[in-house]
Amino acid sequence: MYQALLTRKYLTRKIMPMLAMVAVMLSVATILVTWSVMGGFLATLIQSGRTLVGDVAIVWPNVGFGYYDELIEDLEADPMIEAATPTIETFGMIRLPDDRIELISIKGVDPESYSSVTGFTDTLWWKPIDEPTPKDREREDLRLQADDLKAEGGIDLEQVHQNGLTMSRLNPSSGEVEPAGVLGIEVTGLNERTAWGGYYPWGANRALPDGGIAYDHVFMPESGSVVLTVLSLDSDGRPVDPKSITMPIANEFQSGLYEVDQGTIMIPLEVLQRNLRMDEARKVRFEKDANDPFATVYDPATGTVKPKMKEVVGIDPARVTTVLVKKAEGVELEEMRERVREIYAEFASRHEGQVPISANMSRQIKTWEDLNRTMISAVKKETGLVLFIFGIVSFTTVFLVLAIFWSMASEKTKDIGILRALGASTTGIAWLWIRYGAVIGIVGSAIGTVLGYWIVSNINAIHDWIGETFKLVIWDPRQYYFIEIPSDVDPQKAIIVFVVGVLTCVLGALLPAWHSARMDPVKALRFE
Amino acid sequence: MSTAARTGSESVATKSGSSSILSVRDVRKTYKLGRVKVPVLHGVDLDVQRSEWVTILGASGSGKSTLLHLMGGLDRPDKQGGQRGAIVFEGNDLARQGKRTLDRYRADDIGFVFQFYHLLPELSVLQNVCVGSMILHGRVGYMSKRTATQQRATELLERFGLGHRLRHRPAELSGGERQRVAIARALINEPKVLLADEPTGNLDMKTGASILDAMIEYRENAGLTMVMVTHDERIAARADRVIRLVDGRVVEAPSGDSQPVS
Repeated sequence: MYQALLTRKYLTRKIMPMLAMVAVMLSVATILVTWSVMGGFLATLIQSGRTLVGDVAIVWPNVGFGYYDELIEDLEADPMIEAATPTIETFGMIRLPDDRIELISIKGVDPESYSSVTGFTDTLWWKPIDEPTPKDREREDLRLQADDLKAEGGIDLEQVHQNGLTMSRLNPSSGEVEPAGVLGIEVTGLNERTAWGGYYPWGANRALPDGGIAYDHVFMPESGSVVLTVLSLDSDGRPVDPKSITMPIANEFQSGLYEVDQGTIMIPLEVLQRNLRMDEARKVRFEKDANDPFATVYDPATGTVKPKMKEVVGIDPARVTTVLVKKAEGVELEEMRERVREIYAEFASRHEGQVPISANMSRQIKTWEDLNRTMISAVKKETGLVLFIFGIVSFTTVFLVLAIFWSMASEKTKDIGILRALGASTTGIAWLWIRYGAVIGIVGSAIGTVLGYWIVSNINAIHDWIGETFKLVIWDPRQYYFIEIPSDVDPQKAIIVFVVGVLTCVLGALLPAWHSARMDPVKALRFE
Repeated sequence: MSTAARTGSESVATKSGSSSILSVRDVRKTYKLGRVKVPVLHGVDLDVQRSEWVTILGASGSGKSTLLHLMGGLDRPDKQGGQRGAIVFEGNDLARQGKRTLDRYRADDIGFVFQFYHLLPELSVLQNVCVGSMILHGRVGYMSKRTATQQRATELLERFGLGHRLRHRPAELSGGERQRVAIARALINEPKVLLADEPTGNLDMKTGASILDAMIEYRENAGLTMVMVTHDERIAARADRVIRLVDGRVVEAPSGDSQPVS
């Protein structure tokens, strides 16, 4: 009882505990803000990484596998699976409008089924919008001015949007609708990222041999095209010959992952299949005649006699490298992966010798987390590192509390002697300081948690205010890929930070508590 | 104050009467100041009878306060040849008791009054008096006795003329008032023995006399046993019995008259 009374009095009548409380509050708020922003950053990255890969992928790279339509039918018949789509993933070269040549990741997709499995539709950038993005206060975004663009510039953003969804574009000279690609918005470098986190399309500057620069006005989804060069493969996966495809651009996408957006193009599946020789084809092979295995034939070209071979004609099915699968609502990811493996095993047993065997494919059936493991792991480690550094900095709070408490315990030596003379036990005295530390920890951490919560919730407004007042822009959408600083506080994290804050104070109070409890009451009474 | 009680020949130690509430036997104490050993008590023997007022006289550094701390269970006597002297309270040797028992003894059976009051500066007068009860009864026990305790504290403070000072802090009181608060605090748990270490030593004569009168009045009404350390022979003269400490040993005080011991 006396501990509660003295704790209250010591807290309200001394400046030092107030300072300790402020230190705890600031440490807790700092940790919470850091953890929340880094956590939000990680969550946004993960979400972005997931956008274009569905939940589970069945991957057989390079040569791919056939009969995928049958596999997709099997998958979609299962109640745990909502949809599945075939894709091809390969690499190639891209020649951009300004004649630069870059390495690029090429995805062949079926836009309709791909949209049903992934968030592809939402990633299409050029489309009319009604509400501006959070930082676009002046409403400078071209997408807000779709009607003006159509009237003045002849650019129909609604049509561009539809082109993206169908991966096609009208060829004005032939009047035909042609297959078209959807390009990552950062690939060409012709879209300038604005301060409000959007894009403004610029024309292309081409370097000329005479040292001059030629400017071409080009808005990729309207009139731009690229030339892709891929290496077609035979059925054994060996490169056969390079193929170049001129691909008009239907739209551009922004997935939220810079690595993807600056190095990926999506084109219609059948176009890529055809150019990679992965489409359905007549298959011809030669074998000896079983009825006359020793028959020979004269080859006039070489003038030699060689074994007589019989021509056998078959059909090589179209192939894809990947089937992406989307799980039904409420199904656990791992549970679904197991189900996909089972379905594939049944499928493989029906096509023994024609598709990769189930045992080999089992490791190739990956969740979206597996596919993004490197990126997720890197950001997680970065988050861990930042937290570790801030944790060490905040650990100084322990010593701060310790120093303040030690000083207070020394100042209150006589009080301790008085209390001991009145019958207070050593544990009672120790509890007085531990309780005191706990109260400072609880109050400081509670205020710190609320403060951290408030800062994170308003971090973009605070950031804007700092920017306007001090001309200091910390989070520039031109450099960082997210328009806004992540601002979600995970209540679980808030609770952990709060508890650690309290424990830190209790830890800091332990040594002074032990010191006070062991104090000789007679010496304490004589203390001046 | 009875004449018999003030007879020195009846009072000096080693005569352990059956009504002794507190007995001290062969108690020794040496302090260490760095590497130097300073012997303070060299085998003290003393008996305090129930309801008796014993005054311990002695020069500065003679070990008066040390003896008082030992009797109050704040300190323990030294061992000599494997034997530790005894401080017996109602048949129990304090020197052989555990910490918890000593804590309880100080809270329940003993009331301390110090020369420099030793009040807790952050607490009000009333809270300073009640803190002893809080320590004795613990949180739950105190809550059930809170009203009664506060009432008793108020009564004590009113009795000592501080009824109008209940909410004041020690810093707002005079020295005499502070000492009255300290006495009220010592008495809040109705102790069996009051140990007072020069309670008037820091006060002017008039204030000291009024404090002493208040203590004597309370003691006589309550039948309280009191051991008081002082170097003021006029105060000692008012006690039932006077003990003189010289060089860490009890010396028999003069007997047979009521004059101050010289």
